[in-house]
Amino acid sequence: MSRNSNQGPVGFIVNPASGKDIRRLVAKASVFDNQEKRAIVRRAITGVSAIGVNEFYYVPDTNEIAQSAISELAGRVSAHAVACPGTSSALDSKIGAIGLKAAGCKVIVTLGGDGTNRAVVSGWRHAPLIPISTGTNNAFPVMVEATVAGAAAGLVASGLVPLETVSEQAKLVLIEIENEADDLALIDAVLTNDRFIGARALLDSDRLQLAMLTRASAASVGVAAIGGFIQQVSTVDDHGLCLRFSSQGRKLRVPIAPGLYQVVGVESVKTMALGESVTVCGPGVLALDGERERVLKPGQKATMKVVRDGPWVIDVARTLHQGAAIGAFELSDTGDINAV
Amino acid sequence: MKELTNEILNNLYVCMVRIRLFEENAGKLQENGKIPGALHMYVGEEAIAAGVMAHLSDQDQITSTHRGHGHLLAKGGEMDKMYAELFGKVTGYNKGKGGSMHISNLEVGMLGANGIVGAGLPIAVGAAFSNKFRKTDRVAIAFFGDGASNEGAFHEAANLAAVLKLPVVFVCENNGYGEFTPQAQHQAITDVADRAAGYGMPGVVVDGMEVIAVYEAAGEAIDRARKGEGPTLLECKTYRFYDHSGVRGMGFNYRTEAEVERWKKRDPLDLFKQHLLDQELMTEADAAALADSIRQEVEAAIEFAENSPDPDLSTLLEDVYTN
Amino acid sequence: MADANTQDKREIPYVMAINEGVHQIMQELDDTFLLGEDVAGVGGVFGTYRGVLDKFGPERAIDTPISEKGIVGLAVGAAATGLRPMVDIMFMDFLGVCMDEITNQMAKMRYMFGGAATLPITVMTMGGAGMSMAAQHSQSLEAWLIHLPGLKVVMPSTPYDAKGLLIAAVKDDNPVIVIFNKLSLGIKGEVPEESYEVPLGKARIAREGTDLTIVALGRMVYEALNAAEQLAELGINTEIVDPRTLQPFDTDTVIQSVKKTHKAMVVHEAVRFGGMGGEIAAQIQELAFDYLDAPVARIGAPFSPVPFNPGLEQAYMPNAEKIVAQAKELLDR
Ligand SMILES: Cc1ncc(C[n+]2csc(CCOP(=O)(O)OP(=O)(O)O)c2C)c(N)n1
Ligand SMILES: [Mg+2]
Repeated sequence: MSRNSNQGPVGFIVNPASGKDIRRLVAKASVFDNQEKRAIVRRAITGVSAIGVNEFYYVPDTNEIAQSAISELAGRVSAHAVACPGTSSALDSKIGAIGLKAAGCKVIVTLGGDGTNRAVVSGWRHAPLIPISTGTNNAFPVMVEATVAGAAAGLVASGLVPLETVSEQAKLVLIEIENEADDLALIDAVLTNDRFIGARALLDSDRLQLAMLTRASAASVGVAAIGGFIQQVSTVDDHGLCLRFSSQGRKLRVPIAPGLYQVVGVESVKTMALGESVTVCGPGVLALDGERERVLKPGQKATMKVVRDGPWVIDVARTLHQGAAIGAFELSDTGDINAV
Repeated sequence: MKELTNEILNNLYVCMVRIRLFEENAGKLQENGKIPGALHMYVGEEAIAAGVMAHLSDQDQITSTHRGHGHLLAKGGEMDKMYAELFGKVTGYNKGKGGSMHISNLEVGMLGANGIVGAGLPIAVGAAFSNKFRKTDRVAIAFFGDGASNEGAFHEAANLAAVLKLPVVFVCENNGYGEFTPQAQHQAITDVADRAAGYGMPGVVVDGMEVIAVYEAAGEAIDRARKGEGPTLLECKTYRFYDHSGVRGMGFNYRTEAEVERWKKRDPLDLFKQHLLDQELMTEADAAALADSIRQEVEAAIEFAENSPDPDLSTLLEDVYTN
Repeated sequence: MADANTQDKREIPYVMAINEGVHQIMQELDDTFLLGEDVAGVGGVFGTYRGVLDKFGPERAIDTPISEKGIVGLAVGAAATGLRPMVDIMFMDFLGVCMDEITNQMAKMRYMFGGAATLPITVMTMGGAGMSMAAQHSQSLEAWLIHLPGLKVVMPSTPYDAKGLLIAAVKDDNPVIVIFNKLSLGIKGEVPEESYEVPLGKARIAREGTDLTIVALGRMVYEALNAAEQLAELGINTEIVDPRTLQPFDTDTVIQSVKKTHKAMVVHEAVRFGGMGGEIAAQIQELAFDYLDAPVARIGAPFSPVPFNPGLEQAYMPNAEKIVAQAKELLDR
């Protein structure tokens, strides 16, 4: 297969903690065990390799999911770890993403939920991304067979399918927090009247105060669904949505988490132009992409805006259709396909 | 989810400080030769006992482990009778016959620390059976370690509880070691909660250093059990700051000082205290005053224990049978 | 077998004797491996396996999960397929967790299979009270084990026997349970440097005497020796038999001694009721009834679990004083 100057390695980030939080209980979600994550990495690598890309970088997670999956393929692929602080927290994904960027990865495949991808993007803002869902309340990553996702990663990493033709830059909510580090969210940033981060997951609709959404769809779960019941906002629309909640407002029955419907009162809905900001004030907790992340002290302000400045999210189906169209899966006499 | 009132927050904090100060002093007493036998301390793991027990009444039951002082304190154990038991005095909870490894108080539903790793799990299942049999809404909690999750007793208890749909919560205190063997060398998984799926119950992982996280997750699991929806496996990631037994233990070299220090930066008491300060729910002066009053409680309890008599030799054969 | 007493005056503690035995037998037999909780990385919580991992590597010194059923079951399977497992069960009390593997598998497989299976397994464990370890870490449960046809059971009292019996146990092609004593770990005694065996099933006369035979098990040998000194002051010359192996039991040595002294006492740390002492007393009366001047005395722990309180525990455990008192009664002194 003709080697392209655009060719480069594929990166992997696996969040060992995804799919195990309190939503197993509240939302009747099932535990996503790490054996399955390992199997997903293994299948994704098989897909990448089928395209002839055999160079990988990975973030060595504390549960050794990526390491062990890759070590099963030792000798057949060339795999390198990037630096990871090993904190068993989102910091690992963030620092890992920085490492994958520095290693020149052309595509990164993430295994996790919304929170995982948020951490990745906080390390590599414009990452070319294939997010595989292994979490719970996922709006950002997609449910996709890893073999296929891997093949898509291979097609882009090999240069056979140009990134620009199959990806779309995601919107973000950017958050400036007074006297503290900035933050971001991929789907939604929500102010709640919690006081603690606790078990993280956002589960109580009574506590919602305000939400900034990059997208809103009635066909989703979580705060994005609340917006979606009132006004759809797609990933391509150049605006976001701001919801204010109040028990006095219009009442909706919403799936706040998978398997968990609650009633929420929406006081107002406002379309937010890109860059248009809203400021909120503590005490409260900012939940980012469904997880309580940042505590606002009494009087502490945070300003939020929707921008289109996020990762390049690859459309797996489109990538494979293009790949098929250019014959990427045809076997030539020289045996181009170098499947693992 | 239950409202986290200021009273609950305060109780959680008090509970954790009581355990910490009780244990630190027990450690010193053992080093000074005043406490005989083995002493497995709970320092570093306080958030788990506090966060779970906040949802229980005296009617609910727990089974504990060899590392059981924190569980008993959080369940309503009184320091004087506890120190007395650690000293082996007749005024102790077990009349001096059990000591640290068997400390118990059935009046508050504490079905005993246990010297046999994993043994508490099926016993908690039995308590849960009893609760269901009597048509109460009581729950039973089995505390156990990462190491214990490799005993057959764990697997049999989990399966029994799930198939009989019993009101029990299995709380794994995963501190990364079974004695001196790191988790990676005793099981091929990192999340004990992954095992829940195999028994048909929910498995949840929670940060065991964050008391509110434990509190929330335990609250959901306990509610579920009370409602008759069956057992849950709740895994709390934690760390023990002291050695397996005793403060310094046997001096084995099995974990690095750097690792211990890294975990100490996530001391559950420090984390929670900081949250309370940030939220202006407590001041440094409040915290100091609280610690002082608990120190007094500790001192008085130790004095009580020291001044208490040993059991009379005539009691040797008492309590083997009911008569 | 080398004779230690003449050539070698080196004294080492019981714990070192065990350790040396483990090293030497593993060196000698390369189908052996050591399996148990914390036996490799830290060399055993009592120090009995120190250095084994370094010397024999992780293939032959294996830290297991806390899974006693699994550990003993593994040993049965490995032995049935040709290996020679050396298994540690940290405290004897934990045998409770793996009693099916011991009772129904290890002890019976050979017989049930018509002699087809050979199970050269050694289970090493630590028994005894005296350290305020309370009811689940202090028991003497040898009576459970001697009752199981198919098992051999040894209970070394001295450093010399600890090493020699251990080596013999590992070499034996039957499953052998070796019960060490935790309170004896520091006791020093003469131990030859080279490898040697103390034959299974052979008792030892720990002290020669003419007036009274005391059969003492395990650490009770020391209490009996101590008592014998006190009795000597009263002009009573005590003979002490240390059976060393409880199953198979060296009846002959005991009977010979009783025929000489005409009085017998059995001492063990285990609960008296249903203890090994009942078996020994029965054998004596069966085989030496006509030689006995008095009923066989038995000393064991009272019928209660081991208490935690140190004072109660001392009161609970048999000791020299209790032996002396009982001997005086027996001899009408
Ligand atoms: C059946 C049994 N096997 C072994 C032991 C010895 N032992 C006591 S505590 C312990 C480690 C337990 O590890 P874990 O369950 O993780 O609890 P932790 O000590 O870490 O709190 C072991 C092996 C025992 N008491 N009981
Ligand atoms: Mg542990």
